[in-house]
Amino acid sequence: MASKSPPTREAIQRLVGHEFPGGEYTIAHWENFLLTECTGGEPLPDGLAHPVALFHMPILGAGTSIGEMFALGEAESDFSIGIESYDWEIFGPLKEEVRYKISGKITEADRKETPERTFDRIQFQFDLTDPDGSHVARTTITWHYRRNLS
Amino acid sequence: MKVSVGDQIPQWVMEHVSAARMRTMAAVLRDPNPVHWDPKLVAQLGFGERTINQGPLGLSYMINMLHEWTGPTSIRRIVMRFPQVILDGDKVIARGEVTAVREEGDERLADCRIWLHREGTEPPLEGTATVALPSG
Repeated sequence: MASKSPPTREAIQRLVGHEFPGGEYTIAHWENFLLTECTGGEPLPDGLAHPVALFHMPILGAGTSIGEMFALGEAESDFSIGIESYDWEIFGPLKEEVRYKISGKITEADRKETPERTFDRIQFQFDLTDPDGSHVARTTITWHYRRNLS
Repeated sequence: MKVSVGDQIPQWVMEHVSAARMRTMAAVLRDPNPVHWDPKLVAQLGFGERTINQGPLGLSYMINMLHEWTGPTSIRRIVMRFPQVILDGDKVIARGEVTAVREEGDERLADCRIWLHREGTEPPLEGTATVALPSG
């Protein structure tokens, strides 16, 4: 990703309310197996999916990607993204081979300036429902897009 | 399950954060960021020729700790902040303590402070979790 001029504060603020297309996502058994192995944990019983899937499945299921989320905030480079927080609310068990409906949007976006640095703080929120319409999880991703404005 | 404020959650240890696991994770997540798989690029950032662990992987160590403590469907909420990066080769230990025990609906819940311990540094991850306590 090449360096480029930073967006204006107003351009960042206009991101609030941006909605992703939405869609569906099914955690395949192989995918859950590999993810769980990456965590160093043991496979979970009864077809349960490891909650670590709550990072990527909402993003992909909502019809976006990590790359597009970087691009929406006009990240200056892959190195310019920092994580503020991940907030995962889990209302029901997450399972393999279940087709979840997923929606996603940008809920907060603004420029922050401190004596040390300037960054744009962008918050994404995703909601997952199961085929019965039950709300299974809400995930909130807050990233910092560091700016070099000098 | 008897739980009281101040109880320590049994710790969960990741002896050796693995670059190979970061690469697998990057592929599954479709995460294009080279900091997770290109050590030469990471060296330019001043971290040496190592790769940077994905945030969700660090978070997963906290999940594994909570699962072993209260079961695989017990987590109701987990909020993590990421003050420092974790690098391949690091040894990190998930730890936590109970800050409140309360009833909500039919469930008994424990609110916890959780963090990742790494020798010689401030916690690279810290946050809070709420788990449903097993009955009995």
